[in-house]
Amino acid sequence: MKTEMGALAQGLIRCHDCGYLTKIAAAGRPSHCRLCGSSLHARLPNSLHRTLALVISAFLLYIPANIYPIMTVTQLSAGEPHTIIGGIIELIKSGMMPIAMLVLVASILVPLLKLLGIALLLLCVHYRWQVDARKWTVMYRIIAFVGRWSMLDIFMISILVSLVDLGGIARVIAGPAATAFAAVVVLTMFAAKSFDPRLIWDNQR
Amino acid sequence: MSRIELDACAECDLLLNPARPTVGDKARCPRCGHLLQRPRKQSIERTFALSAAGLILILPANLLPLVGIKVLGSTRDGTIWSGVVTLYQEGMWAVAILVFLSSILFPLINIVLSFLVSGHLHFQKPNRYLPQWMRWLQHLEEWAMLEVYTLGIIVACVKLASMAELKFGFGLYAFVTLLIVNAMLASSLDQYLFWRSIEQLRHKKPHEN
Repeated sequence: MKTEMGALAQGLIRCHDCGYLTKIAAAGRPSHCRLCGSSLHARLPNSLHRTLALVISAFLLYIPANIYPIMTVTQLSAGEPHTIIGGIIELIKSGMMPIAMLVLVASILVPLLKLLGIALLLLCVHYRWQVDARKWTVMYRIIAFVGRWSMLDIFMISILVSLVDLGGIARVIAGPAATAFAAVVVLTMFAAKSFDPRLIWDNQR
Repeated sequence: MSRIELDACAECDLLLNPARPTVGDKARCPRCGHLLQRPRKQSIERTFALSAAGLILILPANLLPLVGIKVLGSTRDGTIWSGVVTLYQEGMWAVAILVFLSSILFPLINIVLSFLVSGHLHFQKPNRYLPQWMRWLQHLEEWAMLEVYTLGIIVACVKLASMAELKFGFGLYAFVTLLIVNAMLASSLDQYLFWRSIEQLRHKKPHEN
């Protein structure tokens, strides 16, 4: 196929799950994939609205996630609450630069850049920007790939709370920011999933 | 109805003649660069074997202590499960559920589904749930986060190293092995081939649908 033609322009719908192509019937389109049974949509349904709603919720939760303590370390009954940034500064102070960078990237930069990136993708599609669609698709791909790595902080806390539970000597307790941060990660993952990158291509002339 | 002998790119919808890459090669969409196919040597058999190995490893990896600490004579062991339970007891039920799903339940379902699908394909046994299993497998994949959990263990150990003495439990060896098996499993599973095989298997039984 030499001419660059989208499947939809040829009257074909690609199944989101199995990739099987189905012809759009003249009278009303078929609703389910014949191979795997998932419901057929030319593009993900309400992609922009869903993604926007998820991005806004994630952005709002990003604020308490950074303001409130994500965990409290109690040593000999002296409690010390840590925010995400506080934990990173602590790591830098104790000379763990590479680990501090890792946490910085996974818990601060990735969620923030993800939110900005998805917002840009939404603007791009909504205002029909004429862009290098290939580059924007690569950006989408990176956003979709990195999201799960932000769970790092949550997993670290779950290990710390179960290990460091030595009564009066030392204890680690998860803080309210942990729930907010976990929600940010989950919401941005859903946001990336609900965005349909084919919309970028649909708008290019 | 005859099958449409064409493919479309998942990320840019470009209509394509199906590529037939050889093992070890990758077929990418010429327009957006999306990875279309990545055939693997004996994809079905390897997936079957690796998921069987994963099923054996997942119990010790989840139940045996991963890391233990020793402070002032008292010791404590931590498993993935104990982390979930402690979070839950502290009232962080949402986080506890998320950790349980992404580090225990979804990896388990992932391996079970890979085992079921590759097993049915290997023994050429048609099953009407095959497409459904395959779909669940694809949707669950990104929510099973063993690799991320490993990084979490590393960061937690670095943080603890200054305040306590660390011991690594047998569970950690099982966990790391499971992690490797899981990564090999993910790379051996050729989704394109799996869907094609499911389709062919369905045609073996003409009375179906």
